[in-house]
Amino acid sequence: MPDPLLLVEDLAVAYDGAVQALRGVALRVDPGSVVAVLGSNGAGKTTLLRAISRSLGDVGGSVTAGRISFAGQDLARRDASWAVRAGLVQVPEGRRIFRDLTVEENLRAGGYTVRDARARREATDRVLDLFPILAERSHQRGGLLSGGQQQMLAMGRALMASPKLLLLDEPSLGLAPQLVEQIGDIIEQIHAQGTSVLLIEQNAAMGLRVADRAYVLEVGAVTAEGASAELAGTDDIRNRYLGVSTTSPTRTTHEDAPVDVPVHLQRTSGARAERLRVEDVTVRFGGITALSGVSFTIEPGTIHALIGPNGAGKSTCINVLGGAYRATSGTVHYGDAEVTALPSHRIADLGVARTFQNISLSLEATVEDNLLVGRHRVMRTGASAQTLRLPHARKEERTERTAVRRIASLLGIEQLLGRAVHTLSYGDRKRVEMGRALAAEPTLLLLDEPVAGMTHGESQVMADVIRAAQQELGLSILLVEHDMPFVMGLAEQITVLDFGKRIAEGPPDHVQRDPEVLRAYLGSAAA
Amino acid sequence: MTYFLTQLANGLSYGLILGLIAVGFVIVFTSTGVLNFAHGSVLLTGAYLVAILHDPIGFWPAVVVGILGAALLGVLINAVLVRNLAEPNPGTAAILMLGVDILLLTELTRRIGNRVLPIGAPWGADVIAIGGVTLPTSRAIAAGVAVVVFALLWYLFARTDTGVAMRAAAADGDTASLMGIRLSRTGATGWALAGALAAIAGVLLASFPAPGVAPTLAISAFAAIPAWVLGGFDSVVGAIVGGLIIGVVTALAVGYEAELHVLGRGLGEVVPYAVMIIVLLVRPSGLFGRKEAVRV
Repeated sequence: MPDPLLLVEDLAVAYDGAVQALRGVALRVDPGSVVAVLGSNGAGKTTLLRAISRSLGDVGGSVTAGRISFAGQDLARRDASWAVRAGLVQVPEGRRIFRDLTVEENLRAGGYTVRDARARREATDRVLDLFPILAERSHQRGGLLSGGQQQMLAMGRALMASPKLLLLDEPSLGLAPQLVEQIGDIIEQIHAQGTSVLLIEQNAAMGLRVADRAYVLEVGAVTAEGASAELAGTDDIRNRYLGVSTTSPTRTTHEDAPVDVPVHLQRTSGARAERLRVEDVTVRFGGITALSGVSFTIEPGTIHALIGPNGAGKSTCINVLGGAYRATSGTVHYGDAEVTALPSHRIADLGVARTFQNISLSLEATVEDNLLVGRHRVMRTGASAQTLRLPHARKEERTERTAVRRIASLLGIEQLLGRAVHTLSYGDRKRVEMGRALAAEPTLLLLDEPVAGMTHGESQVMADVIRAAQQELGLSILLVEHDMPFVMGLAEQITVLDFGKRIAEGPPDHVQRDPEVLRAYLGSAAA
Repeated sequence: MTYFLTQLANGLSYGLILGLIAVGFVIVFTSTGVLNFAHGSVLLTGAYLVAILHDPIGFWPAVVVGILGAALLGVLINAVLVRNLAEPNPGTAAILMLGVDILLLTELTRRIGNRVLPIGAPWGADVIAIGGVTLPTSRAIAAGVAVVVFALLWYLFARTDTGVAMRAAAADGDTASLMGIRLSRTGATGWALAGALAAIAGVLLASFPAPGVAPTLAISAFAAIPAWVLGGFDSVVGAIVGGLIIGVVTALAVGYEAELHVLGRGLGEVVPYAVMIIVLLVRPSGLFGRKEAVRV
């Protein structure tokens, strides 16, 4: 066996000296290999990468035991800057490009440690060769790129330092199926050029495709490891991470899902879902048309999905429905009310609640407090009564805390109620956001990528939660999501957008066979 | 008309000096997140060094020492105090800076006493007159120096690795450190730049028509605070534009005080803050400030 490039031995990491995130983790990356780490949310995958790239300190974590060595050197006393210079570069979760810097400047920041002009030129050439789009857009601000392009920029930026080992944290997060394939191809290319890759990936199909070896991380410990092909064949991995196939709209059957468990969500009022009619809505930003003449209808109490490539206008559409953006023309009616004429707090009063693609929670506050904020709409006592702790205010607070607890248990985050949001993993934050939206007792729920960053198993549990909420509260739901098994298993009606236009609409099996949808969105992933 | 143009020219040159000071506030804020209320005494330190050294070593060498001294002082404040805060947050750091300001100012006041030290600039008290519009030579030079300094800053931030690294670190420090950019180094560079800018502004402010270096010079840095705030805390361009606006408005308010006597005397001191408040009412994040949560 060759000497390993990266060797992690018996690693333990804790946050704030208390929360144990990793224990006894062992992992090796040989030179010239691609290694994938799979695992559900909160399993500690990002923590592992941060420990390796020496950036745990930024988030209050520290290595409490074990050893990490890179190219034979112990990393214990090294900082992030040393790691980069030694050839160990991380692409952070959520891309984190510098939005106000141009593409060129982003790349330049990535090559900061390379002092030699020729080496830097070669690195630039290599990056622009891998990602020709970055050359086309080199003078644009990073923030103006689409999600897929931002991921490419983030990877290109890291490659500017010509790493020996590239650490990738969820490169497929929030990307359309076709783009996920493309990113997978690029990782294979980077590998072929001689760079080793350690990849964390929620999209296990992609992860296992590009990796030679894979590790499964569960609750902070490695539970399985082996050659990718071998792992992909085991039942456990197939059930939890790969899903059966993309075309089976069946309900899940595995045991930890709260299927058919009544959760007794109750409404405090008799509000009912109404019909949502989107008619000929167009949205322009400056010269860019984000949505053009889009129409669809959501029948009361049904689940409707909005899918399409990155930049197709899905989030724009949700933002119009929630009142964050104004439609340039066209109307949206919810029942008799014209949503497009109302400010967003009045739309919330109609019973419309939403979650955000980029998650918008109070980071320092606890999960419970974040959920209580969602109850604001249904709470009756005023600020003065609450401050004075009058009897009826205290009674209401007790009822509200019970209601919040019920929602948390539905979402499986009951044990997190007392934790500050900033200590939670991405997927758990998604759950909290969903909980906050549900807490407002909406009649129409707008979900922007509710299962981004979740494994197949977790997204199935989420699907059950959404279905339970829909049935018990009689909700209408509009969801935007790239996870096709999730969408196909849940939605009754699907609208497909591409370049701001509606290109298809219908029930899942109909949309899945639509040649236009296959071309623009699903690619070969659906075949 | 010539009276108006004279006031305008004075206002613009004064505004450019305010811009130099305000840019220092911005750079310290974006590179280390500190509201640097000790900026005024750093400025005074630079000017003081020039005032005491121009006689023995000559004006230009004294200016170099003043600039380097103020830059070094900034770096030391950052390295010794700011970076060692047990719990770094903007509030604590701001109060720490107020403390540093009082300490420095007390020591400098002790040294200067009630004297006014001449700055020893070779342009003295000359005045340029073009078609009836008069401007002190010192102010014309100040404007020229400021423009050159701003051009150099633009080059630094747009064209050099250090500048791009500083902007990356300011935008997202955690991610920048994953690129191997050392935040301790970008922070030190920021403080050094701010110190140097303050020293330059100090020398220009202490020149004619001002009598020289006195402890009150530190207070003049505070006149740049409204410029900094209305430009938007984190924008260099905003700070320059803010400086120009405050400079012109102040000069006009002072120049036309007689006509505006219904508003009372001392209008020039109040007007900058009034402008700042009005701008913030309309644009809460300033003229060029980064808006919070642009995309939902």
